Amino acid sequence: MKNKKIIFLISFVAIGVICHLFLNSYIQALVITFMINAIMALSLNFITGVANQFSLGQAGFMALGAYTSAVLTKEFLGDVWYVIPVTALAGACVSAAAGFLVSLPSFKLKGDYLAIVTMGFAEIVRVILLNWNHVGGPRGYNAIAKWPEFILSYAATGSYLIITFIVLYHLKISWFGRNLWAINEDEIAAEVMGTAVAKNKRAAFLVSSFFAGLGGALYGHHLGYISPGSFSFLMSVQILIYAVFGGLGSMSGSVLSAFILTALPEVLRSLPTGGLDLRMIIFPVLLIIMMILRPEGLLGRRELFASKEGSHE
Amino acid sequence: MQEFLQHTINGLSFGSIYALVALGYTMVYGILAMINFAHSDIYMMGAFGAFYVIRFFNLGDPNPVHFTIGLLASMIFAGLVGFCVEKFAYKPLRKSDKMNVLITAIGVSILFEFGGQIVFGADPKSFPQLLSNEVVFQFYDISFQSVDIMIYVITFIALIGLSYLINKTQTGRAMRAVSSRPDIAPLMGINTNKIISTTFVVGSVLAGLASVLVAIKYPKIDPMMGVKIGTSSFVAAVFGGIGSLPGAVIGGYILGLGEYYLTGYGASTYKEALSFSLLILVLLIKPTGLMGTKAKEKI
Repeated sequence: MKNKKIIFLISFVAIGVICHLFLNSYIQALVITFMINAIMALSLNFITGVANQFSLGQAGFMALGAYTSAVLTKEFLGDVWYVIPVTALAGACVSAAAGFLVSLPSFKLKGDYLAIVTMGFAEIVRVILLNWNHVGGPRGYNAIAKWPEFILSYAATGSYLIITFIVLYHLKISWFGRNLWAINEDEIAAEVMGTAVAKNKRAAFLVSSFFAGLGGALYGHHLGYISPGSFSFLMSVQILIYAVFGGLGSMSGSVLSAFILTALPEVLRSLPTGGLDLRMIIFPVLLIIMMILRPEGLLGRRELFASKEGSHE
Repeated sequence: MQEFLQHTINGLSFGSIYALVALGYTMVYGILAMINFAHSDIYMMGAFGAFYVIRFFNLGDPNPVHFTIGLLASMIFAGLVGFCVEKFAYKPLRKSDKMNVLITAIGVSILFEFGGQIVFGADPKSFPQLLSNEVVFQFYDISFQSVDIMIYVITFIALIGLSYLINKTQTGRAMRAVSSRPDIAPLMGINTNKIISTTFVVGSVLAGLASVLVAIKYPKIDPMMGVKIGTSSFVAAVFGGIGSLPGAVIGGYILGLGEYYLTGYGASTYKEALSFSLLILVLLIKPTGLMGTKAKEKI
């Protein structure tokens, strides 16, 4: 087990160095995009896959994280790059606070209604940002501090991805994750067995929105420009597709599917499409076929590395 | 005061549209307990169906016959699309988890929106003026336009027709049966699949009707036209109590009027946020909406 971790770390560093030295900036940007997508997919997977709380508002949390971090960096802390990790965490905390507010009704509502409330929350965030002139309104917020070098960006985003993965994976197999899994299976039975249903759900929301805000902050510092339009319902759906495709409840599945679904449209870019975003055709078709033929996603609830503690079955 | 009354007239005509679309959401929810995210895109497809039929037969001038043809074309086309969506996307999932159906519905919706951009083109098309829009009568400064009056009348006829279908016919009785006890209905000799299919088609036909009514009031159609109206109608359906037909109509009118007053008094950019805030508030106070009934959870 120890060896595996060392091998993983070495290969992580090696991939970063190879990308930095030999690949062009287009592929480098894709690598970062994949990592951010993976963080978003993981955050949604925790709330929807493990805790079975259907959230359609992940883009709203992402927007909160992105704007908080961008505004803090630009207006209060100058464009010194080493404060980016600090502001990213601040963005995640703001997002988590919002997640707590959204979670308050979550013990009262479930299924479709909760999906609607989260969707409404994201929409409200978007409209407020759209009307807030100080952060650019519909024009968006630009000239956000970016990482000066790819390797720094890779190191920061990559470490956040690894931390996100480790934290969420361990939460999933922890006592807390098992409580959520019990609620997921049968809420009434779980309550009878003494699980604090509302408290656990609320905590799950908090965790998920924290990491969604983190992903959003990294997204802003990666692109250097954010606008309310980037955090629309489509973004939430895209994140949902990543999580569902990999398998709801499987953390490594989310990372895997974020990789496949980030790479696939780029591979297919050579096809003649008339300048249209091909992703929005491939993804829904994939999603519908998946739901009919293999509704549990690529991995179901299993993990890639099949350790016994990881699976609930 | 005059301004207020003018907003009321416009709000009522939009409320009628919302009511028609919200009925589709609520009917599908009532019978399958799923949110049909693709409903707004069936609405869009109806408008495009009418657009191409009118262009094909060259019927683009104001004329009651052409208007009727446009309405029928849209209704038939939307009905067909609704039928196909149910058959190919939702029917294979009848037995699976609720979340899977919801995800599929979102997938279908995105597919229509972006597929539509490839097939029809992303830029808006101008819908032919099928009805001459003139002021029918003036009351002080308030003018009643023929399009608004037509929307009221057609919505009224559609609502009467729907209530006859639901309450008085054999099919309607079967729909109510499937909606209240989907497990017992087949034992009574009801072909559940056929009834679900019929419900989808009826909801889609209403959406198609609404889309042409909107297109003659605001003659611009594009593949994303369903998103805004779909969202508002959906909010209306939940507000009124999803699953309840009178609730959808009342919710539609309340939301239409509310949105128009907001726009009229200068808060138009907050329109969507406010409808959602209203929705969240309603869900928190009375999660089942205005007219919804609370289902007891069985163990």
